[in-house]
Amino acid sequence: MSLKTPIQPAAEPPPGPLEPRSFHLRIDPLLVVAVVGLCLCSLLTIRDATADDVAGQPLYYVIRQGIYCVVGLGLMYGVSRIDYSRLRELKYAIYGLMVGTIVLVYALGSAARGSKRWIELPFFRFQPSELGKVLLVLAVAAFITDRMRRFDRETTARVLLLALFPAMLVMAQPDLGTSLVYVVGVLALLFVAGAPWKHFAALAALGVLAVTLTLTVMPAVGVSVLKPYQVARLTAFLNPSANPGEEGYQQQQSKIAIGSGEKTGRGVEQATQTSLNFLPEHHTDFIFAVVGETYGFAGAALVLSLYALLIWRGLHILTVAKNLYGALIAGGITVMLLFQVFVNIGMTVGIMPITGVPAPLLSYGGSSMLVTFLAIGLLQSISAQARETAHKKGRAPLFQ
Amino acid sequence: MAPQSPLDDRRPAITPQLALRVAMLGGVAFALFAIVFFRLWFLQVLSGEEYVSQARENRVRKVKIEAPRGDIVDRNGTPLVETKEAAVVQLMPNELPDVEREIADTYQQAVSAAERDRLAARERLRALERRERERGKREKTRARTSSALERRQRRELRSQARRARRVAVPPLPPDAVEARRLYQRLSRVIDLPESIIHKRVVQQLALTPYAAVTLKTDVGRGAYNYLLERQTAFPGVRPSKTYIRSYPRKEVGAQLFGTLAEISPQQLKLKRYRGVDAGTRIGQGGIEQTYDQWLRGTDGFTRVSIDAQGRPRDEIEPTVRPPRQGNRVRLTLDSDLERAADRAMQEAIGRSKYAGAVAGAYVALNPETGEVYALGSYPSYDANLFAKPISQEKFDELNSEERGAPLFNRAVKAGYATGSVFKPITALAALASGRLSPGDVYVDTGKFCLGTQCRQNAKGAIYGATDLVKALRVSVDTYFYNLGLRLNDAEGRPLQTWARKLGLGHPTGIDLPDEEAGLVPDSKWRNGGFAKYERCRKKRGLGYQSQAALFACGGIDRPWTAGDNVSMAIGQGDLQVTPLQVAVAYATIANGGKVVRPHLGEAVENGAGALVQELGKGARRRVRIDPSHRAAILEGLRESASAPDGTSSAIFKGFPGTVYGKTGTAQRPPNPDQSWYAAYVNEKNRPIVVVTTIERGGFGAETAAPAACRILSKWYDYNAPCASGTAAQ
Repeated sequence: MSLKTPIQPAAEPPPGPLEPRSFHLRIDPLLVVAVVGLCLCSLLTIRDATADDVAGQPLYYVIRQGIYCVVGLGLMYGVSRIDYSRLRELKYAIYGLMVGTIVLVYALGSAARGSKRWIELPFFRFQPSELGKVLLVLAVAAFITDRMRRFDRETTARVLLLALFPAMLVMAQPDLGTSLVYVVGVLALLFVAGAPWKHFAALAALGVLAVTLTLTVMPAVGVSVLKPYQVARLTAFLNPSANPGEEGYQQQQSKIAIGSGEKTGRGVEQATQTSLNFLPEHHTDFIFAVVGETYGFAGAALVLSLYALLIWRGLHILTVAKNLYGALIAGGITVMLLFQVFVNIGMTVGIMPITGVPAPLLSYGGSSMLVTFLAIGLLQSISAQARETAHKKGRAPLFQ
Repeated sequence: MAPQSPLDDRRPAITPQLALRVAMLGGVAFALFAIVFFRLWFLQVLSGEEYVSQARENRVRKVKIEAPRGDIVDRNGTPLVETKEAAVVQLMPNELPDVEREIADTYQQAVSAAERDRLAARERLRALERRERERGKREKTRARTSSALERRQRRELRSQARRARRVAVPPLPPDAVEARRLYQRLSRVIDLPESIIHKRVVQQLALTPYAAVTLKTDVGRGAYNYLLERQTAFPGVRPSKTYIRSYPRKEVGAQLFGTLAEISPQQLKLKRYRGVDAGTRIGQGGIEQTYDQWLRGTDGFTRVSIDAQGRPRDEIEPTVRPPRQGNRVRLTLDSDLERAADRAMQEAIGRSKYAGAVAGAYVALNPETGEVYALGSYPSYDANLFAKPISQEKFDELNSEERGAPLFNRAVKAGYATGSVFKPITALAALASGRLSPGDVYVDTGKFCLGTQCRQNAKGAIYGATDLVKALRVSVDTYFYNLGLRLNDAEGRPLQTWARKLGLGHPTGIDLPDEEAGLVPDSKWRNGGFAKYERCRKKRGLGYQSQAALFACGGIDRPWTAGDNVSMAIGQGDLQVTPLQVAVAYATIANGGKVVRPHLGEAVENGAGALVQELGKGARRRVRIDPSHRAAILEGLRESASAPDGTSSAIFKGFPGTVYGKTGTAQRPPNPDQSWYAAYVNEKNRPIVVVTTIERGGFGAETAAPAACRILSKWYDYNAPCASGTAAQ
């Protein structure tokens, strides 16, 4: 590791020219536009969808989501002020915190709908597996950075083990969707770090083998890895019309909701799929379907564009990062967000199975919102550090 | 801090490899967004119209299937509360005769008018009171003078504001032939007078105009089948099934379970009822409320497609999620002991020499763990009464004082003066504060005087030289009066402090809602209350200790005196303690300092009998009790129940085990004395603390002690005679 490094660390860099820091440059404005835009869409849609959910309090969910947005924006700004590079030193603590909180759920998590995912806090229900998404990227990116000098099979295997352990814990909660996000995030880290193509080919082969095992061979010998409802969801998506049951029903209703929105939407009053509760989980997992029904293709396309803006800025920040650690974090976070967006929206439009992955910054929920803001704060920090470094060295960023 | 690797601070030039890979990521992202865009285009623009028509025809309705609640069983698995399916007869709202709807409208208007009048009366009353207050303020010095007219007016307004006048249901008009004929025939089948059917229809229609009207719950199988087979002959009548509670052991533990009722709007907002739909019946009161989340099942549903007329479409198979029954809650209660305790109370009450003795309470618990073996209030009632709607007359009867208010659970909700069962607490406080050692001798002259006021022992007895053990054995009041006086000026108020340490003056934390906290009086409480009394009295210009002042300003009409502490030392005065608190205090002395949290819940089990959750663990305090102090007190209690001159030795003559017991006789003027007994026994490794009390029961040894003896005898399977004694208190 660093002790073996033959090159001695450079002494303190000579003090740069003492000019006032230009603060207005230090966060990426386009990223802020995407985030704030998505928050506004989220608040508007939640207001439409939940007006009748809590008797006497039509703004119950809106107020809470609004608080999460405001707190989250503050969190994002705060995180953007710190130098993410220092987090590399804390990799063991971060990894330990992630595993520890996830294990804690088993100890004192409250049972809800057959799954234990939450820890009850005084203000909201904290979901450690959400926070784990960011912590995992931070820790594993640090491990990869340390082993950059020899990127062999062992490195890839170790990194994957680091990711699979928490992914298994989360999968056992059971939360299949989030554990997939973990795996995808770490694969993205390996990809950005430059793992050889051979490794990915081997992984793909292993993956096919594992899926075959869990879905066909293991149930045949009587070991069920997935809960029955998870299998039902996965298969319902493959053949919705032959599934009159609960899972196929949800997806069918979601498709009807989106389709009936047509070009410009049915408006809040006419959105019967939402208001008559045909649409399940209309403020959390299926919120995009509410957007589609209420505001039509125009609204759905706007939300998609905001997501595209978000992903583009993430990839851009990846290219300008001042060091490898930053590039890895940016890559991991961006791909995780992309994956969540695609899985969630894909679920509502009927091209992906139902996995319970929330739409980032759109679905109602404190843990998901705050963690997404934390992740975007990290992106901002990487961007800000890159600008500052470039500024010190008198170089402009690659492109602005 | 480890030295940073140089990789860290070096800005990597974008290598061709990284550039390629980022470009690939961008490509993948672009492809995914493109897929979603085209899918949206396909759904919303190309096939939008089709989905719009599907959404319009989306007439799927979810019909809830009620889940049965879990059972409640005692520690041996004997069912105490079960769920049974019952037939109900309902009238469908859309097929009710129109005339009923009109009557319901009239009735509803009359009811709202009555309610409006009530609110108006309340407003007028408030205005009147405000005016009087202000008049009083202006004429500060003079007494408030309200005329007799004003007073009468206020009295009338107050009664009007409290309850809206009753509105009679208008009778069925003679020309409503059809409805009359239907009711007549129904009345014969379900055995309910026509007038009652009419009344229920109108009242429920007025309340919920579009819901089915429930005419009768738990109708017989014969009537149910008869109606089911003759649907066409009884248009609009729907026989169906619902779940009701049944209590196979009837009055055993009836006060502990609580009832079921629809969740209220206030409860819907509570966190603990998150996920419960409006209209769900939940536990209200008792075990049903405390452990509602375990007992409540998960409702199922059928999803049926409905055609334009609102009828289910047969050609489409409904989807079903079957309901799941709630979990079973196992109690620590021993239902046989509970029933034996009920019998013992009944017998003891029959023995009371005072007229009007009807009520008492008992507690039996494990002093080591707080497991409650028996707890209740006598008289009890058949819990099955509440499984179905109950008439107002019956309900009033269950609340009436003369009949002993069977609904009221005295064991946890009634605060009483305890009489001499409090003495061990006084003794412990005096010993622990160093004001007494067990060998100290006090010479009793039969009288204890404080100023001019003298108090005597019960029955005027004179005991002479008395040490602690003797004082507890024969219950020497003057000995404890003396302790009470000495502890009054002791540092830190040891008597109050120890009473609170042993669990008095605050709820014990038992798993039943609305527990009484009781009161441990001290100078702060009394002087504070007196200051308030004086302020109120002076403001209104009322005479000191006058009756008017008592009614207007409360009863705390004098400050704390040493006499208050003297009274408290023998469990009299302002002290308010529940039988359960006495049991906890005795358990703490018995086990050497563990203040247990009494609990009725033992475990939650699923349908297969496997453990889901243990209940009642954790949360207990410790207090430090010197072993020699404990030994001295227990010795006194032992002799009290066994030595020839012990207060309860006659009752426990022939009882095979060692009993540590204390009698108590609480004075409750103007009522006759209340009988108390508290006992601790530890035989056969089955320790138990039993507390009994009987209102108007006389001396402790007369009624409460024999009842406690019977409970103990049942617990240990002894056949002790438990003969009634007439020994001193």
